[in-house]
Amino acid sequence: MGTTVGVVDYGFGNIRSVVGAVERLGHHPIVTADPGDLARADRLILPGVGAFGDGMQHLRARGLVEVLDRLVREERRPILGICLGAHLFATVGHEFGRHQGLGWIEAEVVALQPGDGLRVPHVGWNEAERRRASLLFDDVPANALFYYVHSYRLACGDEALVTAECDYGERFPAAFQRGHLYGTQFHPEKSQRHGLTLLRNFLEKA
Amino acid sequence: MLRKRLVTVLTLNDGVLFRTKRFEPDYRYTLNFVDAWSVDEIVLLDISRGPASDRSAFLKVVETFASRCFVPLAAGGGVRSVADFQRLLGAGADKVVINTAAVENSGVVTEAARRLGAQCVVVSIDARRRAEGGYEVHTHHGTRPTGLGPAEWAQRAQELGAGEIFVTSIDRDGSLEGYETALNRDVVEAVAVPVLVCGGAGQWQHFVDAFVDTGAAAVCTTNVYHFTETSIRSAKRYLRDAGIAVREE
Repeated sequence: MGTTVGVVDYGFGNIRSVVGAVERLGHHPIVTADPGDLARADRLILPGVGAFGDGMQHLRARGLVEVLDRLVREERRPILGICLGAHLFATVGHEFGRHQGLGWIEAEVVALQPGDGLRVPHVGWNEAERRRASLLFDDVPANALFYYVHSYRLACGDEALVTAECDYGERFPAAFQRGHLYGTQFHPEKSQRHGLTLLRNFLEKA
Repeated sequence: MLRKRLVTVLTLNDGVLFRTKRFEPDYRYTLNFVDAWSVDEIVLLDISRGPASDRSAFLKVVETFASRCFVPLAAGGGVRSVADFQRLLGAGADKVVINTAAVENSGVVTEAARRLGAQCVVVSIDARRRAEGGYEVHTHHGTRPTGLGPAEWAQRAQELGAGEIFVTSIDRDGSLEGYETALNRDVVEAVAVPVLVCGGAGQWQHFVDAFVDTGAAAVCTTNVYHFTETSIRSAKRYLRDAGIAVREE
């Protein structure tokens, strides 16, 4: 049967690979910005790469902020944010100015400052060290590597949200969970088999 | 710890895989050799040159890889505008590689970075040795000298908004003699963004040398693997034994 996944189309990010991964796992992605279609989906994925302010502006321009707020906050639809998509869950983003986010988790988005000659953006394969149990990581080995590509990161006001951390000169959330809200800094759809396992966990267990 | 990357570069002519030597087409590969579970990243470059060249064939290849390989995918070749960026991203690429047009119209780099994010802008630099020493950036498939030094151009590209720099030694392309250390080091030291180096790999030790001698974030290969099932794993075992942190799956 499979689950129906609303992949939120707000003009940002490589949606095709998210769709390809969902299909590979035997589920049904719908790429859409239509409130009705999103409401019919069992689960939601908010993908995205790019800048925080632009991301919010695109969500607003499509009337998606209210729609997502309703589905996620009131109807408690499970949602997975990926990279920028996960950043948008935060209250505030400090990327090219100060921008208000969706405000779903107590967190801000700040510039990566790894220091020590480490390069920005942080691009490539790195760990997600577990901090707290989360069904996202079921059947994923503790030392699994995931693909990151970002210049900004989350700073969670509530440490208890952080389910995994990454270490790149500084430590920052690799994954978080707040109830039915899930987010990853890395790209599970680009992280081969372990990324697919994580996505399957969201699609089948969240 | 961030791992050093092994990147496979595939060159395509009208949608057909090609190998090149000194930037000239060599012989054909078939599509199915990429060992998708252990390669860290794939770069697809369209080297179609004729006016009759069919770009849609290349876009189809990008789509095929994007739907079958769940690893990062960069694509480029003939990219001239932000619309070209969007077409390739729309076909499933995560990053777009831009070369000649970045030199000729640097505004494209800035505009793409602003609108699509710096992380998807890879500025590719092809450099050739100068007779009098040092290197010179060449555009148009390596045929046209620009007068630019690779380090200064890389620095400028970073200022324009490049998220990564991809540097290729034309002299070493297909030579199997090893990477061009001085060139790669100059570029790595000139910028704060990750640098991918390409051109010359003929044995696993060349990867080790490139990482140790130049601080590259990634080594790229077009020819060395022959894309067998086990070669990337074998290369990574070699790197690990040499003390380089790589991803082994």
